Amino acid sequence: MPSFLDALKSQVGRKILTGVTGVGLIIFIIFHLATNLQVFGDVHAFNEAAHALESMGWLLYVLEAGLAIAFLLHAYVGISIWWNRRKARPEGYEKYQSKGGSSHMSWASRSMIFTGIVLLVFLVIHIDTFKFGATEMVTLPGGEEARDLKGLMLSTFQQPLYAFGYTAVMILLGFHLGHGFWSAFTSLTMKHNKYSALIYTVGVIFAVLMAVGFLFIPLYIYFGEGCEAALILCQ
Amino acid sequence: MNLDSKVPSGPLKNKWSKHLNDIKLVAPNNKRKHDVIVVGTGLAGGSAAASLAELGYNVKSFCIQDSARRAHSIAAQGGINAAKNYPNDGDTIWRLFYDTIKGGDYRSRESNTYRLAEISNEIIDQAVAQGVPFAREYGGLLANRSFGGAQVSRTFYARGQTGQQLLLGAYQAMMRQVHEGKIEMHTRHEMLDLVIIDGKARGIVTRDLVSGEIQRWMADAVVLASGGYGNAFYLSTNAKNSNVTAAWRCHKRGAAFANPCYVQIHPTCIPVSGDYQSKLTLMSESLRNDGRVWVPKDKEDDRHPNDIPEDERYYYLEEKYPAFGNLVPRDVASRNAKIVCDEGMGVGQTGRAVYLDFRDAIKREGQKAISDKYGNLFEMYENITDDNPYEEPMRIFPAVHYTMGGLWVDYNLQSNIPGLFVAGEANFSDHGANRLGASALMQGLSDGYFIIPYTIGNYIADTDLDEVSKDHEAFDEAANNAQSQIDKLFDVDGDKSVVEFHRELGQIMWDKVGISRSEEGLKEAISEIQDLREEFWNNVRVPGESSNYNKYLEFAGRVADFLELGELMAKDALHRDESCGCHLRAEHQTEEGEALRNDEDYSYVAAWEFQGVNGELQEELHKEDLEFDFVELKQRSYK
Amino acid sequence: MADTFTVHLKIWRQDGPEQPGKLVDYTLDKVNEHMSFLEMLDVLNEEIVAEGKEEPIEFDYDCREGICGSCNLVINGRAHGPKDMTCTCQLHMRNFSDGDTIVIEPFRAKAFPVIKDLVVDRSAFDRIIEAGGYVSVKTGSAPDANSIPIDKTVADTAFDYATCIGCGACVAACPNSSASLFTGAKLAHLNRLPQGEPERKKRTVAMVEQMEEEGFGDCSNYAECEAVCPKGISISAIAEMRRNYVKATLAGTEA
Repeated sequence: MPSFLDALKSQVGRKILTGVTGVGLIIFIIFHLATNLQVFGDVHAFNEAAHALESMGWLLYVLEAGLAIAFLLHAYVGISIWWNRRKARPEGYEKYQSKGGSSHMSWASRSMIFTGIVLLVFLVIHIDTFKFGATEMVTLPGGEEARDLKGLMLSTFQQPLYAFGYTAVMILLGFHLGHGFWSAFTSLTMKHNKYSALIYTVGVIFAVLMAVGFLFIPLYIYFGEGCEAALILCQ
Repeated sequence: MNLDSKVPSGPLKNKWSKHLNDIKLVAPNNKRKHDVIVVGTGLAGGSAAASLAELGYNVKSFCIQDSARRAHSIAAQGGINAAKNYPNDGDTIWRLFYDTIKGGDYRSRESNTYRLAEISNEIIDQAVAQGVPFAREYGGLLANRSFGGAQVSRTFYARGQTGQQLLLGAYQAMMRQVHEGKIEMHTRHEMLDLVIIDGKARGIVTRDLVSGEIQRWMADAVVLASGGYGNAFYLSTNAKNSNVTAAWRCHKRGAAFANPCYVQIHPTCIPVSGDYQSKLTLMSESLRNDGRVWVPKDKEDDRHPNDIPEDERYYYLEEKYPAFGNLVPRDVASRNAKIVCDEGMGVGQTGRAVYLDFRDAIKREGQKAISDKYGNLFEMYENITDDNPYEEPMRIFPAVHYTMGGLWVDYNLQSNIPGLFVAGEANFSDHGANRLGASALMQGLSDGYFIIPYTIGNYIADTDLDEVSKDHEAFDEAANNAQSQIDKLFDVDGDKSVVEFHRELGQIMWDKVGISRSEEGLKEAISEIQDLREEFWNNVRVPGESSNYNKYLEFAGRVADFLELGELMAKDALHRDESCGCHLRAEHQTEEGEALRNDEDYSYVAAWEFQGVNGELQEELHKEDLEFDFVELKQRSYK
Repeated sequence: MADTFTVHLKIWRQDGPEQPGKLVDYTLDKVNEHMSFLEMLDVLNEEIVAEGKEEPIEFDYDCREGICGSCNLVINGRAHGPKDMTCTCQLHMRNFSDGDTIVIEPFRAKAFPVIKDLVVDRSAFDRIIEAGGYVSVKTGSAPDANSIPIDKTVADTAFDYATCIGCGACVAACPNSSASLFTGAKLAHLNRLPQGEPERKKRTVAMVEQMEEEGFGDCSNYAECEAVCPKGISISAIAEMRRNYVKATLAGTEA
């Protein structure tokens, strides 16, 4: 029997890793979106939520480290699968098309490497913009001093490049999830003929909800009437 | 020629166990010193190779396909017989034996056929243990169905893919031995000659079908399991690559060819649709369990079959054979289909087809039940014909399917050449003049799993096997022979394709050596085949080169052999001036059109010895008399 | 009789594994709708042989009734062509129309090197089976066939997976050239039967490792393999393979 590490490195192990990290990332983005949506809540809700996260101390570092590992593993395995596939078929078809039917071949499934790499690059910019971006400080109702991330978000998405860039990336995230959600279930061996179609449909709905949820915020800020009022309230 | 059948003495049911007690054994540590060549990876070859390797012999296995999993055994649909009597309907080993020997119209060796029935049960055990997913009842135990020529349900099946499942079982057992290093597997290799040294089979010569290289292989014994020769008819239900070459080359080296004229024509195949047709597709005989065979009573009736009322349909099998009805043996069903078509009652565009109708079965059991039993066959039919058999009757017609004849073997399945063993369809042994349904799988596996592994041990233990070398002159001669035949084919450089020659041969065989034969027709066939053979060697065109993958070259060699075998088949049919089983001589029929045997003069195995080809095929006839000590010879009746 | 029609063919010609290949154009009239796809190629080959200018096209086939798994063509970009649950040999020309252009290529994968034209070497599949695709039972040592009852639904499902014909269409159609469906199908057949249970873990690990060693790619759950499989084998087999692999290695004890 192979060792634990060798088993993880096998084709099946790699796929399990993709699935596990993928599920982890799915859970993360659910929380992320939930936090983002606080922007529509109470004036301070968003900054309070962000501040609560930043005040977690060592636990935050553990979560961040976990998240980083999940991201990197997910990306590494994804890229290695893509690399293998080029080795596994050195000479491609002159003509290739999907047979349709029960196939899940789609733009989403065939572009995982593309959408994945875009998300990776996006992530660097995203972290630079928000985690390390310069902000004003605000005083929360509880009296604590906190970074005004809400302000940063509102000002960032006033800029067309950010607003539309984020929107485009979120659409790609939707596609990535569209295949990824279903695929994670199958990779984690939860595939049954009876429920397969159901899981696939749930996955697509989930992907659309996530993408719409995320891209709604920049578009709302850019176009929305409420943005000026919101800005005033913040200051 | 010495045709000693070596049948053990004593009562029928004790012969095999007595033989097992008497034969010599090879000690386990000595087995690894012996090499055995197995040619063919169908049920017989695959099971023999796996079992011999398990015992400890070093096995070299050869097949022409790209994998050992593809031999044509894989296409057997219906099932495999065994005398388990699980359904409690009164089956016994004796009944299975008796049905088989009667079905073969008393032209097989009693002792071999009895042993086959005896071993049948072990095969089922073996296959189940390998994980063969036979059909089961809801209680979890094995299901059975009935098949032609029997009044009990003794056929085990895996939907319509029994052959596939059994073959994969044997293939997997082989692959396990490849993994163990006990089988050396050579795929895409074709045997072109047998090497005989000091009167014993000591090796073979093959052509690597990819590189074209002629290669030599040594062994202490050779098992030939290369299948049947139905493709002599060009159109048959055999796979396109099925051929007689390995067996025929052994025959040319001195192995007697027995009963070449016994060819089974399967009653339920999809009819021919055009001259581009490359093969015929069989619909399992099991369909006759639920399907009813009929033709319109009125020759001029061109209504859609569903519009023809019950009283205007001629259910000819049910009317003529009330006891067995649609389940009469294959030869009887085929012949009757030909008779009604000859009388003008045939259906379809060509008038060479009859209906096989599931309307009543679907009404009785529901479409789901029928689909569970025959789903894949119905799909296959619809795919080929574009007609839906759930809604209208199938159109079927007989086609060449199996050859009972083959290389002569004794009780040990050894040919008259010591060290050359022959298994499965390639030998002549157990089915007489007609094989019952679901018996081919049984015979192939019985030979391979349970007979040859013992009898080869007996031969090896009992024989002085001197060291030989691949440089022996016999190897040189065989290798040169193989190469020169290939060179000769290219040298002709004519302008007629191999396929055309094959098709023409097939037409002669079907018209004159087919379902019904006559003295006049057979004589014509012999002379036409001779002419065709001469034309072949003067005008065949073989494209490409020999040092490369070249399917046309492979076919050219095989068609050359079929052109000789075809003549032998006609000669054998002509000399057998009686009817028996599948061999119907128009001159010898009962008033009801049944095969009329002549036990007085023809109760023997006709074993032909090759003498040469000189315009005419020279063959000497030898006879092994068939003695029936335990069954009484009767006119077969399925009424 | 049915009318005949004309098709334009672009067929992959390649002299050997090391030589470069290319698509070559042919036009064939006299195509009959009842012809099988391979019979159409037979007719073309007969024309090529009659003309004598080039060698006939090599392609694999044997039973021509959809069970041996020999035939293997990618037709207009799809393994075994446009029709569901159908091998190349069972595909009929009625699925095409007059004037159609049909591109014919071999199954492509590093693990399936081209031998000549459309013929490829699929012995990698044999080696996957060799690694563990069997029940280790010696001839003669089997208990009575009815000694172990098996739930009919279990036996029927095992049969569904056992119907794999080893043609390799799953590999050919997979964008990653993965052999997971082939491997998974054999595992799903044997692993669920009581006869296969004792070797379940060992078998799963050995076959998965061999699959990778042969140079097949990873499975990305495209499910294209299931769509092209002429026997309709479900990719549930792949999920099941993963489950058994995890049980045998990551979560399991030493077997």
